[in-house]
Amino acid sequence: MAQAVSEEEKLLEFLYAAPTGLVQIDASGAISMINPYAMKHLLPLAGMRGAGNLFTMLESSAPELRNLFDGFAAKRGTVCDGHRILVDLGRLSDGTEPKLLACTLVKLDDDRAIACFSDITAQVAQERRLKQAETWFSSLMNDINDYALVSISSDGIVDAVNTSWTQQTGQAADTLIGQTLADIFPPDCGSVHGIDELLRISARDGWHLDEIWQTRSDGSRYWCQRLLAACTGSDGELAGYTVVLRDVARPAFDTDDLRRMLTQDHLTGAANRARFQNLFERAQLAWAGHGTPLSLIMLDIDHFKRVNDTYGHLTGDLVLVGFAETIAAAIRPADVFARLGGEEFAVLLTGTTLAEASETAERLRALVAAMRVTTPQGELSVTVSLGCASATRDDDLLRAADAALYVAKQTGRNRVHTADNAAAAA
Amino acid sequence: MTIATIDTLTLAELQTMRAEALDDLPFGVIGMDTSGIAQIYNAAEARMAGLAADTVLGSSFFNAIAQCMNNYLVAQRFEDEAELDAVIPYVLTLRMRPTPVRMRLMASPSSPLRYILIER
Repeated sequence: MAQAVSEEEKLLEFLYAAPTGLVQIDASGAISMINPYAMKHLLPLAGMRGAGNLFTMLESSAPELRNLFDGFAAKRGTVCDGHRILVDLGRLSDGTEPKLLACTLVKLDDDRAIACFSDITAQVAQERRLKQAETWFSSLMNDINDYALVSISSDGIVDAVNTSWTQQTGQAADTLIGQTLADIFPPDCGSVHGIDELLRISARDGWHLDEIWQTRSDGSRYWCQRLLAACTGSDGELAGYTVVLRDVARPAFDTDDLRRMLTQDHLTGAANRARFQNLFERAQLAWAGHGTPLSLIMLDIDHFKRVNDTYGHLTGDLVLVGFAETIAAAIRPADVFARLGGEEFAVLLTGTTLAEASETAERLRALVAAMRVTTPQGELSVTVSLGCASATRDDDLLRAADAALYVAKQTGRNRVHTADNAAAAA
Repeated sequence: MTIATIDTLTLAELQTMRAEALDDLPFGVIGMDTSGIAQIYNAAEARMAGLAADTVLGSSFFNAIAQCMNNYLVAQRFEDEAELDAVIPYVLTLRMRPTPVRMRLMASPSSPLRYILIER
């Protein structure tokens, strides 16, 4: 008997300490077994709400997981393998990478499945950098003449330019010498990072590689890879930087299934969280650079839980699809429409003032209220609450739009609330 | 004598309690030093978790035993707040079952150990 107890204990010790997350669920997602590593990562996502159901816990960060599981027709098999879940949305102020979890979900029979979670944040960041380096150095061997070079002093001033730079950009060496990095790379070049951040990363890691739009002296633009390498003197002190540009053909966007899978929400076809994060960062940098107005509408379908509880998830999904089609058809092609969580969506409007965004929001609200979704249980209608905000110097745009949405919810739903921050006056 | 609960016990009382008295408590008590090594693991906690105190004592608690608390909700608070006394709802994974509990987190610069009290 003593022997049996100790074996069970060893098994528990093993599961308590395992550096990977394991969760066993039934067909509804209800958790029957879960180890500490899984709870450590999942509990902060949902708070105490729905801690007993895996799909509820993931509703706000990976709503597609339930869709994938429900849509998996086979009796058993792998529902997803290494499916990536972006946990943090918005820009992390300390410059750390947003947390990324990988989820593998295996269906064992009609009422039993096991999910496995691991934290792949560091691994993905590392792989991305290695892949960049590999691409860069292999292409470096091909034709050295295509590489445009400038040398930058440690205080950020151009002190030398090679002839390839002049050929590639049309800029003469004597006009460049004495300029700063900020002169050469204006904020609208499409870089995710600002110049200061680039210098910081290069000084820390030795180099940084990204892709940007570079402007020629005749005003035309070309897409290029940019390497910013830090140069250290023999004493280990930072001596300056070298910038290398390489003209590359711009990859065709949105053409293949892989890209779609990585950027679109599985169910609704709206941009997914990762895509939104990426575009949101770019839009904010463009706004910070040249101040064209930037507005954000947060949308949350009213009482959506009731639809799911009353009619089931499949009907709920039909409502989400109908809702997404209605919104997507009513906004401009350049606007970004994204699904951020279960029934939570966002529309990012570049070049749009708060007043214009507010008008758009009201139009979307009316369209949704008039919408009828055909379901097996008959025609259903829903309403939506919307929060609008514009980018300002002293408020986080995502938070401001979220706060406005909260007010719209609190003051009766099926309405638009517009943040009354400083941008409202501008 | 009144029976102690996780809400009534004070840090001073915890520090002076002997091992037998801690084992008599109806709720879980874990004591860690400032580097996170388990120094106290009472009988109620051992029963709930299905582990013997001997295997837990001396281990790195948030890494080997209770990774589910190794996030900003619990472990990080002990790092951030020198003076800490908070009761929070939480969900543990005792014997791999999701188990809602109430936890009291206690720490003070005057106490060599940090404490977690757990009530199911």
